[in-house]
Parts: sequence; structure tokens; C-alpha cells
Amino acid sequence: MAAAQFEVPKLSDTAYTTVPKIQEGSMAHVKTFPAVKASQEFLGYPFELADDWKERVIERMGQSLKKYRSLRVFMDACVHCGACTDKCHYFLGTADPKNMPVARQDLMRKIYRRYFTLPGKIAPWLVGAEDLTKDTLNDWFTYYHQCSECRRCSVYCPYGIDTAEITMAGREILNYAGMGQKYSSEILNKVQKIGNNLGLPGPALEDTLLGLEEDIEADTGVAVKMPLNVKGAEILLITPSADFFSEPHVESLIGYAKVFHAAGASWTLSSHASEAGNFGLFNGNYETMRTVAMRIRDAALELGVKRIIVGECGHAWRVAYAFWNTLTGIGYGGNDPFSIELQSKLDSRYKQPMHICEYTWDLIQQGVLKFDKSLNDHRTVTFHDSCNVARGSRMGDEPGGQFTIPRNIIRAVVNNYQDMAAETIGEGTFCCGGGGGVLTDDLIEARVKGALPRMNAYNAVAQENGVNFLALICAICKAQFTKVVPYYGFDMSQVGGVHQLVSTAIKLEQD
Amino acid sequence: MPMVEVAGKEFEVDEEGYLVNLADWDENIAGYLAQEEKVELTENHWEVVNFLREYYGEYQIAPAIRVLTKAIAKKLGADKGNNKYLYELFPYGPAKQACKIAGLPKPTGCI
Amino acid sequence: MSALTVFYIGLYYVAAIILIGGLAYRVYEYASTPAPLNIPTTPAPITKLGVRFRMFREIAFFESLFKSNKWIWVFGYLFHVGLALVLLRHIRYFQEPVWFWVELIQPFGMYASLAMIAGLAGLWARRFLVDRVRYISTPSDHLILVLLIAIGLSGMTMTFVAHTDIIALKTFALGLVTFDWHPLPSDGPLLVHLFLVALLMIIFPISKLLHVPGVFFSPTRNQVDNPRERRHLAPWAAALDKDNG
Repeated sequence: MAAAQFEVPKLSDTAYTTVPKIQEGSMAHVKTFPAVKASQEFLGYPFELADDWKERVIERMGQSLKKYRSLRVFMDACVHCGACTDKCHYFLGTADPKNMPVARQDLMRKIYRRYFTLPGKIAPWLVGAEDLTKDTLNDWFTYYHQCSECRRCSVYCPYGIDTAEITMAGREILNYAGMGQKYSSEILNKVQKIGNNLGLPGPALEDTLLGLEEDIEADTGVAVKMPLNVKGAEILLITPSADFFSEPHVESLIGYAKVFHAAGASWTLSSHASEAGNFGLFNGNYETMRTVAMRIRDAALELGVKRIIVGECGHAWRVAYAFWNTLTGIGYGGNDPFSIELQSKLDSRYKQPMHICEYTWDLIQQGVLKFDKSLNDHRTVTFHDSCNVARGSRMGDEPGGQFTIPRNIIRAVVNNYQDMAAETIGEGTFCCGGGGGVLTDDLIEARVKGALPRMNAYNAVAQENGVNFLALICAICKAQFTKVVPYYGFDMSQVGGVHQLVSTAIKLEQD
Repeated sequence: MPMVEVAGKEFEVDEEGYLVNLADWDENIAGYLAQEEKVELTENHWEVVNFLREYYGEYQIAPAIRVLTKAIAKKLGADKGNNKYLYELFPYGPAKQACKIAGLPKPTGCI
Repeated sequence: MSALTVFYIGLYYVAAIILIGGLAYRVYEYASTPAPLNIPTTPAPITKLGVRFRMFREIAFFESLFKSNKWIWVFGYLFHVGLALVLLRHIRYFQEPVWFWVELIQPFGMYASLAMIAGLAGLWARRFLVDRVRYISTPSDHLILVLLIAIGLSGMTMTFVAHTDIIALKTFALGLVTFDWHPLPSDGPLLVHLFLVALLMIIFPISKLLHVPGVFFSPTRNQVDNPRERRHLAPWAAALDKDNG
């Protein structure tokens, strides 16, 4: 298990990744584990194909085409121009042509054409339409789990076709037919039954937080608190459960706590909503995503908070920023009883929800936080734009604030900062290789190979500028890079959070 | 799911070799699981494994990495109470590899 | 009137009905399918005006394609701009008197046909030369290029090689739109040209040519980035709130 059973790609001499010649079937063997019966049943899906699997696939596809304009338009609009073919990190790292965005889409498009369009019904050979078979579903299962739904292809498509939307629809259809993914399915069970993706029960969370409070006090001499389930607190912090559990995630949690402490804020965590992540997004099921998001609404109403702030988690921020208002009413502008019930209680002077980086940057601008940047002098930092933050959300008031605000924070707390190559950051950022439900050991080959474009860009600044710290604002990115950078010859301690850097440099006043 | 037999006792493991039923675990099975992971169990490994089982018994979850390092620091000395030492013991990651040997379910999430 | 003329008159009415009716149906389909979530590819405009500007850049300059691949952009842009000019040039067949600006672009339209063919040739060459594009190409991808090239070449034959009877052709074309039918000149290149154009009109609403209406309905391009300020709610999603509100 520890040794790689595959060849790790070689780093290139530049920041850029050469586009490989296609190698058909090179990743066909990389399959994620199928979900188990109990967890699929809890989500309302069969766990294996039944006799009517074909009808179920076509039925669900027809429903999705009616429910989602994205899918409807994207199935028709592609002209096979090839603009996206060299944009996916999994293709660049694996050379498997089915990892080209258009080919990944075509896995579904050929079924769409066969069963839902006139030319595909009368002349399938002409338009690349194909009959639905079990092989089709196996291909879907393989390649819709080698997509991290990072949306990089959507930036470069002349029609804005977003493969993530098709992957999501594909996974939803697979689930409905009886082919779920073990990893996402388990997590969606735990978050609904226990309150977070890890399955960390309330008492364990409480114990962990107490331990962290001791650590911080031992470290700084200041009694920084990590309050849990405090009714009447002003701010509810929703953060990925990995922040409680793992390195380097926990360093950022300590960073948030120090920022709240320095600002004198009244804040709390919730054991009921002890998870920012929402794998309902990855599965492409609106109802599941809504149910998972609803815990945050419930916790906000229960605790009577006035503000909701989200910790460092990429896809969670996309769901929070772009979907929470729709799903749960967390936001503004609702004119229905459901959303007014919550929105009337929120403090309208602030953005709802707010990203922890927006919060920290506001405080820095107000001069509330003080730093000793030299404490970060052992680090030369670069920042990796997480895909869901970069291409699915925003921070601040201006488009692109999601790029400037985290960098502004970093520059305020470290002396040595260097961006990676321009084409590999910002809206063109490469996914870490572990997003979208791919962050599981059974997909380690896809994860390592998919990280290649980012690793090339990182290697270039590491070699030329002495960069030794990859700053992140995503729990998946942190876990993925911690596991994957050693394959490329870097130490895992080079991976960490933006608020880890804040935590290192922040000056706390003795009580 | 595959069945494995160790020292006359049969037990079930999942695709990745994690013990399916927590109650099946015994020291022989731990030895087998460690062998599968190419980890040679020393006394220090056992300290970690035993702590994981104790903690799991109380909280139904493996301890967070900070909780684990602190506990190990208390038992084995401050110089060993860190992530790096745990990775030396369990190269594939203390959370996953040590849990496996301790017969606990694999912790999954964004970790 | 000859059987040939009758055939072409019939063909063009059928083609026009399929094109207009088919596209109208597609637009209705796209417009009536809800977009339940706010999914613009960010950074995205935060106002409606901004979205219009983004869409304009996409339509007028192929902005995303330009970011993506300069070769496809050059060939695609040559083809589309060439085609647009050529189409505008053809307006003169359907009006009397002819608008001033349509007169003005006549010579440009001639060169535009060259640009159009060059662009199409480039796009077609990529389907053979680039292994990734070869892999994704279906027979219909090739055939549509063949069709467009054949339309262009047959048209250019009449412009540059063997002129057809323009007066008679214009009488025929005007007759089509005023329902006052006249005979069609029976030159080979013209008949081929007109037949292929009608074919293109017919396949438009059932082929990848749907990228034309599709781009306007693409949620990643046409949505405003304002989800914290405005609650986006599809009708089927709003029903869920009532169940558990």
C-alpha cells in the first residue's frame, strides 16, 4: 500500500506541462471502490444494478435534462473544436484521451444523442451515438471518478461548457442506477448521521478542542478559546472537519481562533454543523446537497447567531457562496417566508456568508491585527488558487477578489512571497488533483498523476525562487498535497494553510 | 468481502484490508495487518495502537492527530510527540495505517 | 415553370420552416429548462450590464477560445467572420433597392469567402493532424466541414470562375420572399450551391450548429455573479422549501 504501483510522472524543466500524445485506455484500470449497500440505501439509492438498470439510466437522464439547463445546453452545444482537450490536469498527467474534457462529456453525449436526438436515433454511426450498455456505465464509473469537477475546462470552452456539470449528472445517474462511489457515499452518510464528514462525534470534538486550547496557551501564554455550541454568540464558524483532525489543517483552525481572539469577537463552532464540506455537490444531487447544507441553517437558527463565516475549504466555499442562499436562505434578497425567517436575524452590515479570508483581510485593513512578519522568515511562500474558489465563487466586492484577498493576507504576514507561473494560477489554476470526490486511496494513481501540472509550476518557483511553502485555503488541497508532494520529491511540511501563516505571525496581547 | 484466517481465527476485511468487525481484533490479527502493511511492530508501535483502541472505545472515532501526538509525548517522551515521529512509525500516515493495524475503520473525509 | 424550379421553391420553403421552427423550438426548450443554481464561471460580472458585455466579447471576439488555443481561434475566427460577411453580402439578393451598406461590403464579401475557406481548411486539417482532435472527431464533424467547404467553393465558382445569371437569380430569390415565383437559372454550380445551403438549413436545429443559440443560454456565461445578494430559485427547487419551511 505504501509503495506506488505505477510510474510517477517526471517533473519538467519549466513551470509548464507538456501536452502528451494520447494513450488510449491508460487509466481504464483505475477504478474507485463501489459503495456498500447500507450507505447507498441511506441515501435512497439501490446499491447494485437491477434488471431495469437501462430504463433507470434513461429515465434519470431525461429528468436531469429537464431540470438542469446547463446539462440541456451543454449536451447540444459542443462542436468538438478541441479547445478543451489539453486543459484537464488528469489528461495532462495520464494521457488517457477519455480524460480530455470533451471526451469525458462525450461518454454521456453519445447516449444522449442515441436516445434523445433525431440524428442519433436514425443514424447513430454518423454522429457518434451509441447504445447504452454495461460497458458504457463502467466507463462512466471510471472516468466520472477521474474528474475533480474543477471547471478549468469551462474557462476555455467557447460556449462555457462545464464538464463538472456533466460529471455531476453522470454520478447522479450512476447512483440512481445502482453504481455509487464508496468514498462519497460513506461521507454523505456520516455528515448526515453524525454532523461531519469524518464522523467525529460531539464528545470527541469537545475533547479535541479542549486539547487545542491547551496547546495554544502552552505555546503563546494566551488563553485563546475554541467555543462550541455557544448560544447567542455573534459568529458561527463553519469549517471542514479535517481542521479538527489533521495536519496541517489544524494549524489553520488555530489561526482562525487567534484572529477571533485578537478581534475580540464572540464566536462559536457547532457540533450539529461541524462540517463545511458538502459532498452533495460532488454527487450532483440537489436534494442531498440541500439536506447537508440545511444543518448550517438549523445551527444558525438554534444558536441565534448573526453572522456565518466559513473556514478554509474550497468546494464548501463554492457551495456556501454560490448555493447556500438558494438552498437554505443564508444570504440576502429572499422574499419568501423560508428565507426571511433566517435573513431577518442576520446582521445586514456584513456579507452572509463570509469567507474567513474576507474576515481576516477586513480586520487587517482596519488595523485590528498586528503581525511580526519575521516569524515567517523561514518560509518563502506561494499560493495555490483552489479550483472551486477560483472558478466557482468570489471574495470581496470585485470580481477576482478570490485571487487578491488571500494573497493580500499572505503579503501582510510573510516577507517572502512568489506567485507561480501566470497560466497556472487565477482562473487558469490547476486543481490539486484530489478534488470532487477523488481524494481517496483507491484513486491514488489519478491523484498523483493529476497533480503533475501543479507540481511542475510549484517546482519551478521552488527551484528558481526558493519557495518552500505552498499556501492553501482548502481542506482537500491540504490533504491531497500532503499525500502527493512526496511522490515528486518535496517534504509534506511544505504544505499548509493561509491561516497557518497568519497564526505564525500574529501578535496576541497577554490577558 | 475477502475472508482471512490468522492463527485459526477467520475474519473479514474490506477491499483495502481494513478489519470489517472491530470485535474480531486481537494481537495476532494486528500482527497480520502490520505484515500486510510492511510495518514491523515494535513496542512504540504498540503504544500507538493501544492508545488508538482505547480512544476509539471512548469516542467511537480515531483521535485527531494532535490528540495522538500529545498522548504519545506523554508515554514515549516529548521528542517523540510529533507528526514526524508518527510517520516514521507508520510511513503511510498514522491516521490511516495505524488505524488499520488497530482494527479501526479507516478515517475518511478531507484528510 | 420547370420542375427544377418548383423543386427548389419547395425545398427552400421546407428548409426555412425547419430552420426557423426548429430553432424556435430549441430556444423555447433552452429557455424553459430551469437553471436551479448560480454557476457562472468566475471571475464573472456582478451586474447584468457586465454579463451583456461578457457575452458580447464571447460572440464578437471568441474571448474564451482566444484564451484557449490560438490556432483554433485563428481558423475559427477566419471562418466565422468570413461567413458573416458573405451572408451579409447575400442580402442583396433579397431586396430592391439594396441598402447602401450592403453595396459597400460587396467587394469585402468576395475576399471574405477566401478567409472562410481558409478557416474551414485549417479546422479540417486539425481533425487529421492533432491526435487529440482526431480522437474526438465523428463522421458528422467531418461532413459538416465538407458541407461548408462545398457551399463556399460552389459559391466562389460563381463569383470567380463562371458567373451565373445574377438578374434571374435575384428575381427568383425576391420571388421566394414575396411569394411571386420566378424560374431559377439552371447553372450547375448554382444548383449545387443552393441545394447544399438548404441542406445546411435543414440540419441546423438537429446538429452541433446548435452552438449558435446554445452559447446565449450557457449558464456559465450568462449568469450574474450575485448569489449572496439575490436568491436564485428554480420552480422545482422552491417546492422543496415549502415541504420543510
